[in-house]
Amino acid sequence: MDEDNKITDETPKKQVIETEVPLGPVHSAAIEPYRVRLFVEDEIVKDAEITVGVNHRGIERIMEGLPVEKANSLTEKICGICSNIHIWNSVLVAEKALEIDVPERAQYIRIIMAELERLHSHLLYLAHGNEVLGHETFSMRLFYIRETVMELLRMVGGNRVQYGVPVIGGIRPRAELDQMKIQKIEDGINFLEEKLSNFAERFISDPMIMSRITGVGVIKKEDALRLAVSGPTLRATGVAVDLRRDMKEYDPFDFDVITQDDGDIKSNLLMRVLENFESIKIIRQAINHLPEGSITNRSWEMQDTPITKNYVEAPRGKLYHSYALNDGRVRHCIIRTPSITNIGAMEYACIGCHITDAQLAVVQCDPCFTCTDRAIQIIQL
Amino acid sequence: MSLKSYSRARAVHVMLVYTGGCNGCDIEIVNCVLSPKYDIEQYKIFLTWNPREADVLVVTGPVTRHNKEPLKAIYEAIPEPKAVIAAGACALMGGVYKNIHGDIPSEEICGPVDEVIPVDAKVPGCAVRPEDVLAGAVAALPLLLDAE
Ligand code: SF4
Repeated sequence: MDEDNKITDETPKKQVIETEVPLGPVHSAAIEPYRVRLFVEDEIVKDAEITVGVNHRGIERIMEGLPVEKANSLTEKICGICSNIHIWNSVLVAEKALEIDVPERAQYIRIIMAELERLHSHLLYLAHGNEVLGHETFSMRLFYIRETVMELLRMVGGNRVQYGVPVIGGIRPRAELDQMKIQKIEDGINFLEEKLSNFAERFISDPMIMSRITGVGVIKKEDALRLAVSGPTLRATGVAVDLRRDMKEYDPFDFDVITQDDGDIKSNLLMRVLENFESIKIIRQAINHLPEGSITNRSWEMQDTPITKNYVEAPRGKLYHSYALNDGRVRHCIIRTPSITNIGAMEYACIGCHITDAQLAVVQCDPCFTCTDRAIQIIQL
Repeated sequence: MSLKSYSRARAVHVMLVYTGGCNGCDIEIVNCVLSPKYDIEQYKIFLTWNPREADVLVVTGPVTRHNKEPLKAIYEAIPEPKAVIAAGACALMGGVYKNIHGDIPSEEICGPVDEVIPVDAKVPGCAVRPEDVLAGAVAALPLLLDAE
């Protein structure tokens, strides 16, 4: 099937080990196409190799030379799971470069969107994780809970996947919140909180699931730091790093940085469960203290700017966008998504697992290969 | 209705192939299957990942260069009668990836899907709504059932 997929065929084996088990690119446990090569000895994974590149679309290349507004909405199409954080970061780059102040109300609504998106991404992760685990009941329950978040996202942004809420200087008028919408959000997160605590209780007290995932696919703290892992996967190993702490947008909000100690599948799953409650906390603060005022600042002028960069905390970790503006058009665009560094962790987590746990060990790092397929490897010829 | 179509109508297997979109459409299609709210299985439509078992192929994404041949191979592997649903703006016309620069062709994108394999039903939207996917899947059913 992948005869012309030259990346995979020429990749050298790291060691000479007898059995090789390829998974993917189209595989049931992986919705997205990527390829995992497992080198197996006695059903224990000795080495793993992940190849991406099947869905390379050249997004930065397409963005190059586009008017900045158009380029911003294009970044949303990098990833359908964390689309809002991409457009937000891209808008933040432009705002940083042009020194635009954003009204406080717009800031709050952006945060509500970002946290709703984090909720939907984490719930999707948990549902997918449970499905790979083989527990379809939990998976369906989580999809049922997630539907509430999707409805809220559709209500605020107007679409279930691509919302396009942030624009330079504020937010799109469509996303303005009135009293009715605020009420709906409040009802939604109350419902969510109740259902989630219900789920968390059952999940933690289920001895079968716990024994299946405890101590499997361990990523040690030192190795996580060495592999430059980011986001919840890093926090699950015990490192309290959350870029939301450094973002000035999150200053008015009170939330905890959740960490877990073990770095195994259990810590990773629990990590996301607990982070959901923090997101709910932030949304609740935001709707309770939503400032009055306008939602867009239109008094700014386009200038030429040097390359500006910005980091934000995406649901999966550290997200980097940078570009320069020239004539109102985007130049030298570079985007780096969290999964590209987490690939190292995925390969690492597989090693030493039983072969049946390998897919789970990959999934525990929350892979998202749509946004990752932009890496360039320079090969010396 | 022959016995074959009778039984086929009760076990339609859908295979989802992702050819390089943004994942939005795929999540929504998987949502159709797994979420109790949409629950495509109540129409006796099941998700499978084995092309030899599938009846309906759902394709999302603009078909990147690396995905072109695998997509053809998967299409060939599905036994007759079969139906192909292209879901999402990317699959229908290449989406933002193909068209944003006007007429300048993109060397990464080989889509839209109907330039690679024949398409029977088209589901628009970016991303597709799960309701529309259900409607698309149901609209493709006569192709399977009325086949000789
Ligand atoms: S149609 Fe839109 S949501 Fe679907 S894959 Fe393409 S860009 Fe993503």
